[in-house]
Formats: sequence, C-alpha cells, structure tokens
Amino acid sequence: LFPGVRQAQWLTKTKLVEGLPPAVLNIVNDPAHHLEGLEERVKHAISHARFWDTMEPAPRREHYCPVLFEHLIHLCRLMFERYPSPTKRMSARNYKIAATWEEVKSILLQVRGLNGVLMNSVAPIPPVASKEEIVATEEHVLETFYPICPTIDLQEVNVYRELNDTGKSSCFRDGYPYSHPHTLFFLESANIRPNRFRPEQLRAKMLMFAFGNALAKAKVLYGNDPKVLEHPVVVQSVGTDGQLFQFMVFQLNTTDLVSNDGIKNLVWIDSDQNLYEKAQCVPEIKKRVVTKPVGIYGFQPDTFKKFLALYLHGTV
Amino acid sequence: MAAGAMSVSAGLAVSGLRRAFAALRLPPAQGLVPIPAPRGLSLSAPLGTTDPAWKCRVKYTVRPVGMKKTGGRDHTGRIRVRGIGGGHKRRYRMIDFQRLRYEEGAPPEPFTEKVINVRYDPCRSADIALVAGGNRKRWIIATENMQPGDMIKNSPHIGRMAVLANEGDAYPLGALPVGTLICNLESHPGKGAQYIRAAGTCGVLLRKVNGTAIVQLPSKRHMQVLETCVATVGRVSNVDHNKRVIGKAGRNRWLGKRPHTGLWHRKGGWAGRKIKPLPPMKSYVNLPRIAAQE
Repeated sequence: LFPGVRQAQWLTKTKLVEGLPPAVLNIVNDPAHHLEGLEERVKHAISHARFWDTMEPAPRREHYCPVLFEHLIHLCRLMFERYPSPTKRMSARNYKIAATWEEVKSILLQVRGLNGVLMNSVAPIPPVASKEEIVATEEHVLETFYPICPTIDLQEVNVYRELNDTGKSSCFRDGYPYSHPHTLFFLESANIRPNRFRPEQLRAKMLMFAFGNALAKAKVLYGNDPKVLEHPVVVQSVGTDGQLFQFMVFQLNTTDLVSNDGIKNLVWIDSDQNLYEKAQCVPEIKKRVVTKPVGIYGFQPDTFKKFLALYLHGTV
Repeated sequence: MAAGAMSVSAGLAVSGLRRAFAALRLPPAQGLVPIPAPRGLSLSAPLGTTDPAWKCRVKYTVRPVGMKKTGGRDHTGRIRVRGIGGGHKRRYRMIDFQRLRYEEGAPPEPFTEKVINVRYDPCRSADIALVAGGNRKRWIIATENMQPGDMIKNSPHIGRMAVLANEGDAYPLGALPVGTLICNLESHPGKGAQYIRAAGTCGVLLRKVNGTAIVQLPSKRHMQVLETCVATVGRVSNVDHNKRVIGKAGRNRWLGKRPHTGLWHRKGGWAGRKIKPLPPMKSYVNLPRIAAQE
C-alpha cells in the first residue's frame, strides 16, 4: 500500500540515511582487501548458480538463489581467513525471531517469524554513527500518515505471551560464544513473481527484522525497560532475489518507542544494487545468427565489494 | 464377549457417521485458496468460483472476491431474465456503501480518510476508489474529480448553518446547502446508499422541510427522506459513460449481454414516447407526522 520503508520507519522510530555509512564505504574502497582474481571468482560463482548446476536448460530461482548465496559467503570466508581468529562468525538457518515492543498509544507490536539466515559474531559491531549524529536525530520529526494509522495493514494477533527471545536456542544469551547478531540475509527465492516481495517491501521487511534482532539483543544486554542506549546495537542486513541486492545497516540507539520524540534510531540503506544485468542461459538466436551468446552481461563488481565490506565490517 | 460386541457396534456407528458427514460436505469449489505460502499469505484471490455461496461472505475485505455468474437463471435453474450470459470473468470488490461506518472502537464523530487509488470496477459503470483511514481500507464509489491523495471528510453532525461541502465528502442532508449535487443517497438513515450510484449521475437537494429533505433523483422523481440520511457531494465518476460507442457486437458479448431475438414484432401501445406528469413524490419518512396533525 505505502512505500513500506516509510511505515517501517515510523513503527521503529528510525531516521533514514541514503547510501552506506562511511565506515563501510572505507572498507569497500580499501585495496588491501582485494583478493587477486576476485572478480573472476564472483563471475564463476554466478555462472555456477545460474548455468551449470542443473539438468534443465535454466535453473529456477528457488534453486539458484541459495546456491549463489552460498558461493558468495564462501568467497567472503576465504577473504576472512587473513584476519585473526577471535573475530569468528557463525551462521544459523531457519531462524526464528520474536521481539515485542510497545508503541505510542499503547499498542503492542511484535516482530515474529522465520528469518532467512542470521550470522552471529563473537564481538559486536561498533556503533557506526558518531555521538553528534545521534543527538542530531532528536530534531528529526517522524512523518505522519494522517489520517491513516501507521499500524494499518498489520495482522492483528492474539498475544498470549510476550516473547523476547530468538527461538529456542536463545543464542543471544551471554554464555554462548557467538552472541552478537551481525548480519541477516534474506533470500527471495520463490519462483512466481507474486510470491516474492518487491524491492520496497523487501527493504521494509529487512528493516523490521533487523530492528527485531537488535531489540532482542538490547533487551538481553540492558534489561526490559525502555531507555536510550549508551552503546548502540548495530545489525546489518542484506536482501536479495538472486540478482538485485539491498544492503542495510541499522543502529539501535534507543528502545524508548512509546514517545515519538527524542533520539531516533538510524538506518543506512543502499538499495537496488544489481550484481549483473542479465544472465543468458540459452543463446538468443535471431534469423539463425547468434546475437547474444551464453554468459553474464552487465556484471558490476561493486555490488560484491559492498557485500564483502558488510561481511568484514566489525573486524577491520 | 458383550463388551467386544459393543465396541464393534460402536466402531460401526462411528464409521457410519463419518460416511454421512462425507456426503454432506460440499465438494470444494475449484480454484479455492491455494496452499499458503510459507508466510501464511495467499496473494491473490481465485479468478472465479463455482460456489453458490460466494455472496455470503461476512467479513469485509479489500481484496477482490471471485464471483459466480448466474446467466439470467434463477434458483429453479430456468431463465428468468433474457439476454444475460457469457462475458469476461469478473471479480467482485466489496464496496462499502455506508459512508459513516465507524471502525470498531472508534467514537461516532467526524473523520477523514485519504484516497489511495481510483480504478475501474468491472461490476458497475462507476469507478471505485480505495480509501484508507485509521486502521482500515475500504472501497467506495468515486465521485467525479477524485484523485489519489485527496482527503475526504465524513461527518454525522447537522449544524445550524449549512456546511460548505467539498466534492467527495459525505454529510447528512440536513447539513448541506439547498441546491447541492449529491450522489449515493440512502432512503433510511444507516441503511447504506441505494440511490444515485450509476456513472455520471447526480441528484439535487431541492428543499428542506421540518425534519426532512427533498431530493430530485436523476429520473426527475422527487424523494422525501429524513434529513439525517447521509449522501456524498458531487457527481458520480466516469461521467462520459453514456457517450461511449460500443462499436461492435463482440463488445456487448464481452459485457455479458446476449443478443436480442431477431423476430420482427408489430409494436403495440407499450411502445413509443410517452409524455405524462411526474409521479407523486415518494416519501420514505414514517407516519408519526399524521398522528401529530390529528
């Protein structure tokens, strides 16, 4: 109905900043991280996912999307081996999150559901925004949707228990070595287009789940009372449908969501980054002449560099 | 032994019941909701149903509902109305004709809504508008100049002075100035609009008499209703609907109209232009008036 991101921003009391934060951009541009032949490897990964992995002429999205994702993560891990081992990562699949918070006018909101893939790390990501920027968000006014309530289109559910943990494992508790949420990955891999989320909806979903994870972690660290956090919690998230990538860095500055004023949370979104324009599986032939041979067209290495930067963020 | 016999007979009785229920259970309508996607949402309604109970949906929804066409046939199965049948499949969008419908838990006071989208409706000649306010969305009949992004006001109050009404707002007739063009009129307060809903039509508020208002319908008939009946201001959308040219027989068939019989009949007294005085004013106001006069 609406640009979902605007509604999600209001619900989570967040200010939006376009583009990735400067810390991440620094990692992108730093030439020390470039492995030799990185582009070749990424192209190889895309070709494997899109062309070679199946008996049919073209693999379906629900097949190639996870395969591509696994490849990219593998490439990131290869890069990662250079760095010291205390900063290790762990990933969890089919991961359930439940976080509750109270909104203006005492409406209880909840984020629940099966996430995509969550990656946890040993150490938390340091806050990306400086103190001045955080204080500056106080003046930012959340936009109103008058006459429409921002809770429109949300499913009304009877809540019997307010859950604040992350599934049965509750891996954000302190005893567990990888106890900080680092990055969430969302793979939109349904075959039919109506079953997939559109980019704006995907960004809104990423925002809500990143917020949910950050909130769950904050409640574990600081208790259930709503307040402003001195050490903001940062969670990243990446959403893709196999071709288009959305990158997001979310910083939770406050859990005080009852009032609409005061310090807001921050989110940096880099949207609609294409990894490649088109992957031709079957050669296009017009009048018995091959016009477009099989291959990848419009490859953009920057997208993978940003992916890698988000992966490495926090260790560098 | 007796216990064994009882359990066997109980088992037979249970299986008999189950078989009876299986016969009673209606065969599922084809194209019903598909297996829900992992998110638990099914994203579009089926295109049509064969379920004769498609009209009995109680809960309001904005999503279009599959319709079953009658073909002019009534409940006995014989044709009751000639010339209906075929045509493009249509999905029914549930229109809310009661403009002053409050949300659950909302107080009965004036509220605004925002127009999200104005679109064609296959089931009627007028266009419909998706409006949202508070926590809900609904479809209403769009008025002539409604654009996405407009704000519409709905109010039940009748003040001493008439309100300067904008197009698309809904007020009771007692609050509107005499001479405004209105549409979506109700005959009894709270009943829901039943009059003046076709494309491009409008009624005129003629005069207001003690607690009632008199409206001229598009057929030039006068109608007297209580002044608390709500109507929307303006003409109904799709104003050039009567100027369209069908162009070919096929387009009529797409609309679901079957051809007339080609047999030539000599026309009798029923045919031709008639000029006669207006029928008397139709009054939907109840009769305590007469008791007061006595």
